[in-house]
Amino acid sequence: MRVLIVEDEVRLADNLAEALRDGPGFAVDWAEDGNAGDEFARTPCYDLIILDLMLPKLDGLSLLKRLRARRDVTPVLILTAKEGAGSIIELLNAGADDYLAKPFDLGELIARAKALIRRGKGAAHPTLNVLGLSVNTLEQTVRRAGVIVDLSPTEYRVLEYLIHRPRVIVSKRELLEHLYDYNWEHHSNVIEVHVSNLRKKLGAAIPEAEPIIETMRGRGYRLAPALDAELDPSLNLAPESGQ
Amino acid sequence: MKFRLQPRSIAFRLIVAVLAVELLSAILVTALSFGYERHIHFRAFDVMLHGHADSVLGAVEDAEDPGDHVMLNQADLDLPPEDVYEVRDAEGQLLGRSTNWPGAAALPPSDSSPPAHPGGEIDDVRINGHRYRLLRFEGARTVDPGERGGGKVRQVMIVYGSPTRRVWHSIRGAVEFYAFGSLMLLLVTGPLIAWLLHRGLLPLRRLAALASEVSVDSWHFAAPASAYSTPELAPLTHALESTLQRLERSFLQQRTFVSDAAHELKTAVAVVKSSLQLLNMKPRSAAEYQAGLERCVADTQRLEALVADMLALARAESSAPSGSLQPSSDLAGCIQQTVAQLETVAAFHKVQIHFSFLSKSRAFSPGAGHPGEDRGFALETGSSQLAVRLSREDCFVLLSNLLLNALQHSPPASSVELQLTTDAQTAVVVIQDHGDGIRPEALPHVFDRFYRGDPSRTRNTGGTGLGLAIAQAVAQRAQGSITLASQPDPSLPDQGTQVTIRLPLAE
Repeated sequence: MRVLIVEDEVRLADNLAEALRDGPGFAVDWAEDGNAGDEFARTPCYDLIILDLMLPKLDGLSLLKRLRARRDVTPVLILTAKEGAGSIIELLNAGADDYLAKPFDLGELIARAKALIRRGKGAAHPTLNVLGLSVNTLEQTVRRAGVIVDLSPTEYRVLEYLIHRPRVIVSKRELLEHLYDYNWEHHSNVIEVHVSNLRKKLGAAIPEAEPIIETMRGRGYRLAPALDAELDPSLNLAPESGQ
Repeated sequence: MKFRLQPRSIAFRLIVAVLAVELLSAILVTALSFGYERHIHFRAFDVMLHGHADSVLGAVEDAEDPGDHVMLNQADLDLPPEDVYEVRDAEGQLLGRSTNWPGAAALPPSDSSPPAHPGGEIDDVRINGHRYRLLRFEGARTVDPGERGGGKVRQVMIVYGSPTRRVWHSIRGAVEFYAFGSLMLLLVTGPLIAWLLHRGLLPLRRLAALASEVSVDSWHFAAPASAYSTPELAPLTHALESTLQRLERSFLQQRTFVSDAAHELKTAVAVVKSSLQLLNMKPRSAAEYQAGLERCVADTQRLEALVADMLALARAESSAPSGSLQPSSDLAGCIQQTVAQLETVAAFHKVQIHFSFLSKSRAFSPGAGHPGEDRGFALETGSSQLAVRLSREDCFVLLSNLLLNALQHSPPASSVELQLTTDAQTAVVVIQDHGDGIRPEALPHVFDRFYRGDPSRTRNTGGTGLGLAIAQAVAQRAQGSITLASQPDPSLPDQGTQVTIRLPLAE
């Protein structure tokens, strides 16, 4: 998952970026003023935007309004130091999805960031289940048919992104854009290795089953391609909530 | 009995006052009319008395007896029946009297001497319970004018009285007419005056109604045109308007400051808190902990600087200059100290500081060069000559904030010129940098708190955003001023910002 932080206080942005990289393993980009944030947000590769309100050049509220005006549905978490319910109401009405008052708790920020990304992708529960594959986004653990699959951080992030979009073909570029920050192009060669390793590790859990990640040559990757005839597709192919 | 004047509305008080004046004038009119009517009526009455008395005198005729006597012939007299009269001759012999003559007891004591006035004397008496007016006069009656020698002149004394009841009656009637008329006028004009006052005070009430709508949340105040065109209300309206505008401005300023200060403080606290929480997120090596703690200390120092600046601003703005205990410090020495302390900053920005001191005709320049050279010169001034009304600490705060600002805006390898000039009353410090200058639209805001003239600069190099506000507050406390002029156009030779500090010299 890739997050954009728009915050003019360098040290705060540093801490946020480090916490989001270290904790949930997100890729993080940082814009230090409203105009830069606006430019960054034009690329459709962010799963969440963390937005400070008081920014040089273009304030957070105006940036938010611009985003929503061009039908950008990326979840936005506002960091505000303003008092009073009035400004919060204005923010939420302008299209913000959530807000945190400064000084905030870093753990709470990470939890809210995860929840917003989850909701933005249509999942209500932190554990996602598709075809016997279960991904717990809190513990960052993966089970296939009840057996824990040990994944590297990058492999986990690939799977986490794919399981949010089952049966959809995800291009390599999209995968790269959402897993790495602005210098994603440097990682383009290794992503194939990561996907290959991921497929192997998932296949090792149930050797007789069909591969759960399909490579569409020249188009990208797809999770859960096989339709299980015995099961109602509508039940299985949407990311399921609950255990 | 306790009587306290209750506060009432102006209209009520005016109406009461006008009605009271009207009532008073009604009473006066009635009293005057009484006096006038009495005077007029009694004069007419007296004339009538004289007329009647003359009739009585005319009835005196020669008695048809051998003696030289006269008599009163009452048969021909046609007088009002209530009237009384008595006629006596010069010897006091009674010649005749009316039938209802009350007798001497009812009359005022009269001496037999003739009355002092030739026209006669008038007395008010009571006869049989009625008021009478008596005329006592001495008349000369020529008896038998047809006789030889023109007849004889007889002196007779006539007392004639007539009741005044009717006179009083008509006086009362006239007075009653006036009193009633005044009262009616009062009744008619009372409501009229109330209505007129109500109408007349309408602009005042409109103004008050509009003014009462002004509140902290709604500062809008548009006085009605009638308030401006009324000479009594115009000064009040103008004062109200300008006061409200000033109040709104300072209120909004204060609110912006509190909001900005909260934002800055919360952000600074958020940095410290997130640094600590980040460090605590997972187990780390000792070296990582050390690096993290060092960052936390740096974050805390920035928070400390922000709090210190906010306190400095509050102190500079709150304490009024006290007349008795005036601090004073040597401006030139203070500049030297500031320049010395900021040398490392200047070196970091690769900027040179040039300081020159021009005192009246005597120009003294230490020359340009490396910032280190500026420390060497000595100023040939008596400290008393350049004493300004600032404590040494404030003086340093003022100069270092402005000089630091100039250094931060200077491009590398440029210079900042500091020039001190004095005249008899004022010391002027000019700080000129050659940076990007300030955009004209930003110039009015540079002294605003937390205003950052160049939004592209990150807040880390921009200080707390309070430096200029503190400097201005300090300068104003010393009855001085700071002005800024800026030339942002790079094509011109004098590009950059020029800060001028004027400080009055202490005696």
